[in-house]
Amino acid sequence: MNIEILSEVCSIAGDLFEKDPRSLTAGSSPEDVEKWDSVQHLNLVLALEERYGIQFEPEEMDGMKNLGQVAALVGSKLS
Amino acid sequence: MGMEIRPFSEEWLGAVRAFNLRLRAAQLAEDMRLPENAATELLPGSELYIAVENGAVRGGYVLRQQQFYFGGEPNPVAHYRLPVSEGLVNKAYAMVGALMLRHALKMQPMLYALGMGSYEHPLARMLQAMKWSLCAVPFQFRMVHAGRCLRQLGPLRQPNWRRVVVDIAAATGVGGLGIQAVQWTRTMRIPSGWKAESAGTFGKWADVVWQSCRADYRMIALRDSETLERLYPASDPRFVRLRVSRRGETIGWAVLLDTAMHQDRYFGDLRLGTLVDCLAAPADARAVTHAARVELERRGVDLIISNQGHSAWSWALREEGCWNGPSNFLFAASPQLVKLLTPFESAQRELHLNRGDGDGPIHL
Repeated sequence: MNIEILSEVCSIAGDLFEKDPRSLTAGSSPEDVEKWDSVQHLNLVLALEERYGIQFEPEEMDGMKNLGQVAALVGSKLS
Repeated sequence: MGMEIRPFSEEWLGAVRAFNLRLRAAQLAEDMRLPENAATELLPGSELYIAVENGAVRGGYVLRQQQFYFGGEPNPVAHYRLPVSEGLVNKAYAMVGALMLRHALKMQPMLYALGMGSYEHPLARMLQAMKWSLCAVPFQFRMVHAGRCLRQLGPLRQPNWRRVVVDIAAATGVGGLGIQAVQWTRTMRIPSGWKAESAGTFGKWADVVWQSCRADYRMIALRDSETLERLYPASDPRFVRLRVSRRGETIGWAVLLDTAMHQDRYFGDLRLGTLVDCLAAPADARAVTHAARVELERRGVDLIISNQGHSAWSWALREEGCWNGPSNFLFAASPQLVKLLTPFESAQRELHLNRGDGDGPIHL
């Protein structure tokens, strides 16, 4: 996994979920981040699309169950 | 295997029921569920899509394909209805809502949503995040039996201090008299020369009305006789169908509901009269709203309500003595749809939208 992308994903997620990015890890998921609900999940998707100039397909969005998976998906779309 | 969104088929009925049971166990509102019987629960043109994962249903939504007219020009648009996700009760599925919305937009970029209840509703918040345009469809009401309305209308009775004031106003009769006086002064100009009759069936006359006035509206869903017969069938005794004419020529129609509410959150035990749907040229809106009010008052309702998007219909209701109330009936248009409605700030008052649109007259 690209550590740089994970770090940036954690930073974006931290802003959205009002968490210190340093407390977020690849394993952080909606189940353990209080403000990560369906609306904030969409906001995360939109923020990542804007930051990286990418577009997630509906079928890809299933693979976003934790921040590690999100970062991996971003990485795969950038490569 | 990952999540997949697919059209519902009978083999998934058991999984849909299991999904609904999981939501019910979490004590969500009764209407937060997926339809289990398409024939009775879905409006014409609707298709249920379900989000499935390893044999389980984790969410679903209904896409209702409709023909709309924009200044008289036809364009297909779809209604994004009833999105329900397991993410409501299990955060592991927080991604399902976004996934379904993206899927629906891929199926039909010209999408709208209607209702929702508030700008804070999760769906409304998601749509705002997706840069949809939202507006409230104005809500108007007229108190026919003001004293009963004061005692029964939930929103008038919150907080407690207001309940005390309203109870005193109702008990002394002062409140009722004041309201009747204001409504009466607003209804001084009565339209003349109109005649209303029970519509029976929506026949060729309804097609003539449709053809003659659809171009008057910036956006309006198909309301020809065939569509109206499906939405408001003569076999359903709940619907009061009025045909309004002037000098022997049909100028419009209205569909009304007369419902005895029972311990309703908003309407208590009032007998509620609703102007559900209507159509006429904007210039003839007043004759139709007047006919609707007269009929509902003749039937003995306590309160008349309506949501009307177009300014001509809102004005006509004001002329009938209606008050403006807070609207929780929101219209949301996808960015692709808004391209036909620019600038949205002014277009939103030229849309023919009411409780006949979207989910139809539910909760009434």
